[in-house]
Order: sequence, then structure tokens, then C-alpha cells
Amino acid sequence: MPKAAGLPPGTLILLILRVLRPGPLHGYAIAQRIRHLSSEQLSVEEGSLYPALQKALANGWLKAEWTKSETGREVRSYRVTAKGVKQLETEQSDYQRMADAIAAIFDAT
Amino acid sequence: MTTWFRRLWHLINRPRHERELVREMHDHRQAMHDPSTFGDTHRLIEQSRDAWGWNWLDEATQDLVVGMRTLRRSPSFAITATLILAFGIGINVTLLQMMRVGLLRPPAIKNADAWVRFLRSAPDSTTTSVPYPLAEFVRDHNSVLAAVLVESSGSVGWGRDAAQQVGASFVSTNWFNELGYGPLDGRMLTDSLDATTDVPPVVLGYTFWHNRLGAAPNLIGSIAHVDRKPVRIVGIAPAALPGLELDVPDVFIPIRQREYFYPESTLLRDWTNGSVGLYGRLRDGVSADAAREALRQTMKSMAAERPEVKDNEWLEPLLARHNFLRPDERTAVLAVIALLSGLTGLVLVVAAANLGNLVMSRATGRVRELGVRMALGARRGRIVRQLVIESVPLVLLGILGSLAFSRITVALIASAGSLPVYLDLSIDWPTVAAAAALGALALAVVGLLPAWKVAQQHLIDAIKDGGQNVSRALDRTLMRRVMMVAQVAGSCLLLIIAGMTIRSVQRALETSAGFDYQHAAVLSVPLDRQGMRGDAARQYWNAVKERLNAHPEVENAAIVSAAPLGGRIFQTNYKDTPGLETLVQRVDPEYFAALRISLIGGRLFGPTDAKTVILSRRLALAMYGTLDVIGRGFPKSAPDRTIIGMASDAHSIKVEANNVAELYEPLTAEDFSEGVMIVARARHDVDRLPAILRDAAALDPRVIPSAHTIREDFERRMQGPRLTSAIASGIGLLTLALACLGIFGVVSYGVALRTKEIGIRVALGAQQPALLGAIVRQVLTPVGVGVVIGLALAIPAGLVLATEPFYLESTDPVTIAAALAVFGIAAATAALWPAFQMLRRNPVQALRHS
Repeated sequence: MPKAAGLPPGTLILLILRVLRPGPLHGYAIAQRIRHLSSEQLSVEEGSLYPALQKALANGWLKAEWTKSETGREVRSYRVTAKGVKQLETEQSDYQRMADAIAAIFDAT
Repeated sequence: MTTWFRRLWHLINRPRHERELVREMHDHRQAMHDPSTFGDTHRLIEQSRDAWGWNWLDEATQDLVVGMRTLRRSPSFAITATLILAFGIGINVTLLQMMRVGLLRPPAIKNADAWVRFLRSAPDSTTTSVPYPLAEFVRDHNSVLAAVLVESSGSVGWGRDAAQQVGASFVSTNWFNELGYGPLDGRMLTDSLDATTDVPPVVLGYTFWHNRLGAAPNLIGSIAHVDRKPVRIVGIAPAALPGLELDVPDVFIPIRQREYFYPESTLLRDWTNGSVGLYGRLRDGVSADAAREALRQTMKSMAAERPEVKDNEWLEPLLARHNFLRPDERTAVLAVIALLSGLTGLVLVVAAANLGNLVMSRATGRVRELGVRMALGARRGRIVRQLVIESVPLVLLGILGSLAFSRITVALIASAGSLPVYLDLSIDWPTVAAAAALGALALAVVGLLPAWKVAQQHLIDAIKDGGQNVSRALDRTLMRRVMMVAQVAGSCLLLIIAGMTIRSVQRALETSAGFDYQHAAVLSVPLDRQGMRGDAARQYWNAVKERLNAHPEVENAAIVSAAPLGGRIFQTNYKDTPGLETLVQRVDPEYFAALRISLIGGRLFGPTDAKTVILSRRLALAMYGTLDVIGRGFPKSAPDRTIIGMASDAHSIKVEANNVAELYEPLTAEDFSEGVMIVARARHDVDRLPAILRDAAALDPRVIPSAHTIREDFERRMQGPRLTSAIASGIGLLTLALACLGIFGVVSYGVALRTKEIGIRVALGAQQPALLGAIVRQVLTPVGVGVVIGLALAIPAGLVLATEPFYLESTDPVTIAAALAVFGIAAATAALWPAFQMLRRNPVQALRHS
């Protein structure tokens, strides 16, 4: 993975919420999905996923529970709560507005 | 689930959550192709912990542990600091506890909020007791009281021969039931059983039964004697039964049975003399004001029936929840409490300032450590927090110590001051809360101020020079000097007040030298119980006096309207002598000889004297400004009597008071109806006198006389002032010790910091006095400022305490000078001691080592 420097602060939680939106996943799967989604361009030190997950848990954006994986192992899977969905939507629209503004600046020049 | 609740839940389950997180991360690493890109697990766990926002708690716990460890490592500091705080907080808690127990808490009776005591009031007079028939009339003609209680107390003879005088309360039989107290043993008085019985039932007070009768079992049902008449003991009151007038009587007797004891007594029928205390329980929803207005009607209809009652009289209710104090008494009590709280608060200020300085000195020893922490990125706030939290265990110990201190002191005061047993002295939650609140205040001074001051310094620089500059800077801070000033001012003020209390006791002993109580005794006989009034009483007393004069052991005998140092006081305030209370005593001419009060001028009363007075010296000076008053009219502005003599000052009535003067008048016929006494003087042995007096009084076999030496009264009177003075001196000396410890600490610390400088000056030939001056100079200004502030506060405080109940001798310059001298000597010793030590150790040596 490339260095985490490319990732603006707070983006990791946004990414986590985004990949969990379709359905619950466990930690390793989240990391893989993020890598896949960001076409391996955006990447992080994989462990830093966990502090981000804890922060999302603390804020009530995610719920975690221990389940059995397909391989029969006990894994903790995370699910987005209604509050999390709302947070994701707010962040997304904020990001969109920002991106549009930046694009407008570039278009103007 | 709110965010806070979620976080709290996490905190409670944190060990499990962290185990799960570790396991999850471990599994994740296992699944990776290249686990090295996962990152440092420890750091990641730390960051995960951050996400829940409990870091501050972890840090605080760590700081607390560090604080406790530091205390354990320096036990002498821990003990000193705990004692200082325990004393500072404890003295305040003790005061609060005493005030709550004695004055602020309503008596522990059923429906305490509904009980009132009624004063009989007219536009120009107020009396605390009312005639018994008036109380009965009120009970039967009102719509606002659910119950009425009456009580008449006095002393009676106990035992078959009535040899022992005990305090009796003649009460209405609903007394116990209405106050909500059942018996400890037997039964209490009840309306149905005790209204009329051949042998009256009595209930014994707990203290009497326990202390005087040796807690004898099987007393219930037995026959005892009150004033030689048989009574049946039916019950023993519990220890918790409160006295509505503070004291609990030895024996309770149904008031309706009074004529059984005294067939000639008119108390139950007499409308002229006030004889009983009247208490009422307000009906639900009736306020005290409403009761007063409603009872005006009752008084009006009473006035229509009885000529003794005027139609402008009313009954003024005093609330039980104010301990039956009048509003003005209550204000006075609260003012005294406020002032005392101020003084004890000052002790806490002194203690906290002292400890604050000590803590700051200790913190300077750690500036390097703190510098390193700051260099590693700790913010100032974090350093302050660390230092404050480290002081928390100290303050907690102080709070615990203060509760123990207060428990012990209150018990000591209760036993030294013979407080009644029903007072609940135990520590309750409000007291604990107060101690905790004071502890928090102390923490601000002991922890926060020094920490804030230390964190303000250039701590990082301290790493380079070993903290020398920072230590010096701290030594010179204004705060340190302010703390010093506070200690000196507080200790000076308390020392002066203590001096004033000592001086007051001394004055009481001195003024008692104005008359000789040592050889005198008092005889009193309640003749009204035998229906003897007016001429019958006069004949009786004159006969007793004659018998006494014939006795070889009796030197003088005099009839008086009120005993010296006794309970009854006739007091007037004349317009001509503002601020001076004139105590009126109606006496036989022999009174002056019996108490050795010398006549300065004029003559004594003659047998036909009327409208004549004898003044005390002080009254003459205060009213006329001269001692040449014989033959002038009295009082000055509206004379209706003639001054025939002037006596020396003898505060024989209120011995501890300082604003009183005496006025003597000849005895009148009414005095004999209202009750008089005999004061006699022994030729040789005063202890034989009471028995001689009782013998002489027994010329009428029906009466029960009581007699005692005046010395007993005097000792009892002095108990309060002596106790106050002992407590004040104790507090004053302890505070002085604290302030001296503070001065000693500051000078020692200054000396330690400047060893090098002093060494150089010695090497350059500086003389000892100059060096001592230089060392001590740093505390001179704060001590001087402190003394001035203490002095400035002591004078008004003393003036406020100059009247009842303390009668402080507040304007005596000698007292103030003596207190300042004591302070000066102690402070100079505390300051010079470390300086001398330093110079003796030869500071030049110190230069070689550095």
C-alpha cells in the first residue's frame, strides 16, 4: 500500500462508512474493500483502520457484533447504523460541494 | 443510546473490549500477506483508546497514584500536611456541628414545624410566661391550635426528707404524647389516667434517673417523695427527649396535681402572675401569623371577662424551627455565628496558605522533572492538572482527619460544657458535605495556586541550570508573599481575640473582687406554694433573718429581691446612660456588709426609706459625670427618687458582663409577695452555712427551703467564659504555631537557595548582623503587612463580640500589645532560627562544594 499521507483527515471514516453501506463486513474485509474501491491509489497503514472503527463506534455510526464467517471463524463484523448513514450523507454532500467549488476554480482559470 | 452513555458503557467494559480489539487485530495480521504493513499494535490500541475520550481519566488515575506514592515516600510531610488540613477544616466543621446541634436545628419533636411558643405581648411589654388560667382559656377558646402544652418549672425537694433539690417541670399531661416521645420504661403521663389520682404519677428525666439514681431498675410503680408528699414513679423518659428550654427537668409532674403538693398555692387560679410557658401546635394549614391574628379575638373575649387582661394584648408566636428565639435574638445569634464562622474560616485560610507554601517549595524540587515533561510535549494545563491531582490524596486525608477532629472536639466540648444528653452530636451528611466543600476550597489553595504558579515558569530552561532560576523566581513570587501575609494576619487576629477572651475571664475574676462571694450563701424558699404573700411573707422572712443573726456562725444576713449571680435579673436601660445596662437590686441595708460591698459616700437605707436609691460608682459616673451625687434626683433627666448613697462597683448580678452598673433600692411590700431570698455571710466556715440557713428556714414546718453557697453559682457562671477562653487560646496558639512554621519554612528555603551568595558575602567580610538582616528581610514586609491587617480586623471583630454572650474585653490596649508581643517573639524566633543555623555552618564551606 502507498503511504497514508495521501488521505485527507477524516476520509478514512468516510471510506469505512461507504464500504459498509451495502452490508456488514469484518475488519480485514473492510481493509480489502477500501483498497479495491480506491483502485489501490488511496491506501492506509492497515492497522489504522481500527482506531477509526473505534471512533465510529464511539460516535454511534457503527455497531459491531461477533459472528461466524464463511470459513467458520469467529469474526467481529461492523454494520452502519441509521446515524452512520446520515453522517455519511452529510459528509458526502459536504465533500461534493467542496469538490465542485475546487473544480469551478480550475475551470475558471 | 446517547454518546455519553455509550462511552460510559465502554469504560465499564473496557478490559473486555480491549481484549476483543487485540484479538481482532491479531486475526487481521494473520490474514495479511505482509503483516509488517499493519502498523504498531501498541500504538494502534493507544489510538483506539483515544477514540473513546477517556484519556484524561487514565492520566488522572496515574497522577493520583503518583501523588499517593509521593505521600507514602515522605511520611513526615504527609502527616504534617494532614494535621494542618485536619485542623483547618476540622475547626470549621466543629463550629458548624455545634451550631447545628445547639441553635440551628429545630428541637427533635413530632410536627416540629407546627409548634410555637406564645409570648404575652402588649404595646409596651412582653412576658415569657402567662397565668395558668389564661393558658386554659386559650386552649378552650380558639380555632387555630390543635393542641396546647403548658409547663411550669421550679426546684423541688426529692426524698422523704426533701434533702435533695431537683429540677421539676409541672406539665400538662399531654406533654409527652404531643411531643412524640414514649417511655424508656413504664409509661408516660396521659390525660385519661392522670387527670385525678390519689397519689400523683411522675415521670423521671433520663439524666436524673441515670446519673443521680444510678439507673436503678424496678423503679416503676414505686413510691417516691416530692416536697415530702408521696408520688408514684410511672415512667422514665428516654434520653432523646428534648427540653423545649434546652434543659431537661429531673422529674415531670402533672400540673393539675399542683395543689396536692401545695394546698395553698394559687397558681392554677391566679390571673395576675405569669407562671407557665404556653406552647401551641398550629392546625394544618394555619400559619403562625394567622394564629396570632385569630388569637387576638380570644384575648379580646378574655379581656371582656377578666379585668387582669387588657383588650390590646396579643399572643406573639415564636417558631419551634427557630428554637423559640425571638426575631431579634435570632438575628443576634446568627450574627455571632457568622462572625465565629469568619474566624474559623480564617484558621482554614492560614492552614491552607501554610500548606500551599509548603507544596510550592516541594514543587520547586521537581522543576527539572516538570521541565522534561514539557520538553516532551506536555502542555501547561497538563502540568497544572498533574500537580493538582497529586494534592488530592492529601486533601482527602485532611477531610477524613477533620471529621475525626470535629467528632472528638464536639464530644469534649459537650462534656466540658455539660450539654444535655438529648442533643444528637453525631456527624451527619450535611456536615460531611461541608467538610468536603471546605476540602475542595483548600485544594484550590494547596493544589491549584502553587501548580499554576509553577507551570507559569520557564520550566524547559530548568533542565539546563538544574532549576536554580525557576526556584529563585518562585521564591520571589507575589503569591508566596500573599500567602505569608494571610498566615500572619490570620494568626495575629486570632491571637488578639484569644487574648481578649483571657482578659474577659480575668476581668470577671477581678470584678468579683469588688464583692466577696467566697463567704456567702443564699437561702430561697418558695413561699407562694404555701400561699404566703405580703405581710405573712414579710413576717416569715424577718423571723428567719432574726434567727440567723442570733446564730454564732452567721456574721450578717440580708433580705434581697434577687440572689447575687442568680437567675432572676431586673434590668433597666436609662436614657441618660446609653449602652449601659442598669441592674436593679432591692436589698436590706445589711446586704452591703454581707457581700463586703463598700459604701463610698452617703448612707445606707433606713427603716422608713422609700423613693431612695444607692448607686454604684460606675452608674454615678455614667449618669452624672461626677461622684458628687448624694442628694441629687434619680434618674437624672426625670428624677422621681433621691440618691442617698454610692457603693463601690460590684457586678454581683452579671459577673461576666462588662456593660453593666448596679442600682440598689429599698425592699417593698410587693417584693415579699413576688418572692425574696436571704444572703448570709459566714464567720468561719461557709460550707456549714447552707445547713444553718435551711434550719433557720424550717421555722415554718411546711416549707421546703433550699440553700447553697454563692461560690457554686460563681463557678457555674465562669464555666462558659473559661471554656470559651480555653478554646480561643487553643486555636490562637495552634494558628500561631502554623504561622511560625510558615515563616520558618520561607526563611529556611530562602537561605538554602542563597547559600552560595551568603558564602561569597562572608568570604568578602560581611558582618553577622548585616547577613542576618539580609536573610530575614525577605519576610519582614509580608509579616509587617500581615500584622497590620490582623490588627485592623481584630478591633472591629472584638467590638462585635463585646456584648452578649461573650463580653469580650475588646478595647484593652494591654491585651492587644501582649498578643502582638507573643506573636513578635514567636515570629522572630521562627525567622532567625534558620538564619543562625546557616551562619553557624560556615557558608564559605558551601562555596568549595559547588
